[in-house]
Amino acid sequence: MNELYNYLAVGGVLFVLGAIGFLTRRNLIIMMLSAEMMLHGVSLNLVAFSQQHRNFEGQAFTVFIVTVAACEAGLALALFVALYQRRRTLDSAAWRQLGEDGFVPDLADEAADRPPAETTPEFPRLTPAGRVPQLPNPGSLRRG
Amino acid sequence: MTLELLGQNDGLCWPWLSVVPLLLGALSVWGLLPRGAGQRRWWAAAVGLAALAAAGMTLLRPAELVVHGVLFHLFSGLAIAAAVCMIANRNPVYAALWFAVVTLCVCGLFLVCSAPFLAAAMTIVYAGAIIVTFLFLIMLAQQAVGAAAYDRHARQPLAATLAGFIVLGGVLCGLQQWFPRSADASAPALHQPDASERPPHGPLAMLPREQSPPADSLSRQRPEEPMGAVRGLGRTLFGSYLYAVELAGTLLLVASIGAIAIGLRGPRGGRR
Repeated sequence: MNELYNYLAVGGVLFVLGAIGFLTRRNLIIMMLSAEMMLHGVSLNLVAFSQQHRNFEGQAFTVFIVTVAACEAGLALALFVALYQRRRTLDSAAWRQLGEDGFVPDLADEAADRPPAETTPEFPRLTPAGRVPQLPNPGSLRRG
Repeated sequence: MTLELLGQNDGLCWPWLSVVPLLLGALSVWGLLPRGAGQRRWWAAAVGLAALAAAGMTLLRPAELVVHGVLFHLFSGLAIAAAVCMIANRNPVYAALWFAVVTLCVCGLFLVCSAPFLAAAMTIVYAGAIIVTFLFLIMLAQQAVGAAAYDRHARQPLAATLAGFIVLGGVLCGLQQWFPRSADASAPALHQPDASERPPHGPLAMLPREQSPPADSLSRQRPEEPMGAVRGLGRTLFGSYLYAVELAGTLLLVASIGAIAIGLRGPRGGRR
């Protein structure tokens, strides 16, 4: 019984540290790693329960946790690459304007190190669809 | 000597004793979180080490095997210290490497918990695949030398630390009500004298070690095989959880398709 308490305590500490990292850090990569560390705490709990009860269900659940974490990491990496190509930064505060204006309070402590405001507003870009119209005489348009 | 004293009259001072490492840990994490240039962090590191030592003292006594106790304290202390280093580091490269250390320590705890297959799988998946791809992304994204501005300032460190450690204190208090802190650890909780007066609360109070929960016969450990046998895990996965395994495979396929679909977009959002 005592061993189980120790493992659960360590799992809880890992979970809470991951939560603190997710809340405080502003780098997208570190936020993602903190979420993975929360999953570490959960899987440590499951494995400790599995040993306590002498069956393999906790270990089987941990296999599923690893699967879901791998999917999550792959998708998050693809998303981060796409976001980085847009804004050239990994700051999560750069995407605050996805929310409603004035609805989300400014949680960053330093207003000075905020990323510089975009000079040109970004408009949504539509995927090109349809086919290119075939003009009979391109020179006629230029003349008219 | 003081350890013996603390262990004996735990009925009185035990709940207050466990508050000390929590407070020290909260102070240490708050001090270690990055808050701009010119920040001195050595005192926070010292407080963190003191918190780890205090937490090791307030932990319940490990089991009869000395090796298990030593390995548990080694791996868990290193895991917690590396976790604090990970969330407090300004450089994301070092943060990723500290996360690899956390993963390896958790895998060591899995080995102590007799789950060798999971230890190997998590080492391969996390330290071998996820960390390396994250490092690739960091190398692609960070051309500038030095930490960026958003890495030097944490967002609301005091509020987040307070919230996190209040949650942790609640969790630990709940756990301590489940587990009787007594010298005879081998006795199940049902046979304690005070357990008959109050109704047993919590699932663990009703489940001594002999009566395992009503599990599927496939997932129960068989007496002829040790607990760490991979055969038992495979029997559980492909016996009781066969549909879940198929669903997990489907999830992996869908996630890989989604990652490719997201990654193939052009730099301005259009299709390439």
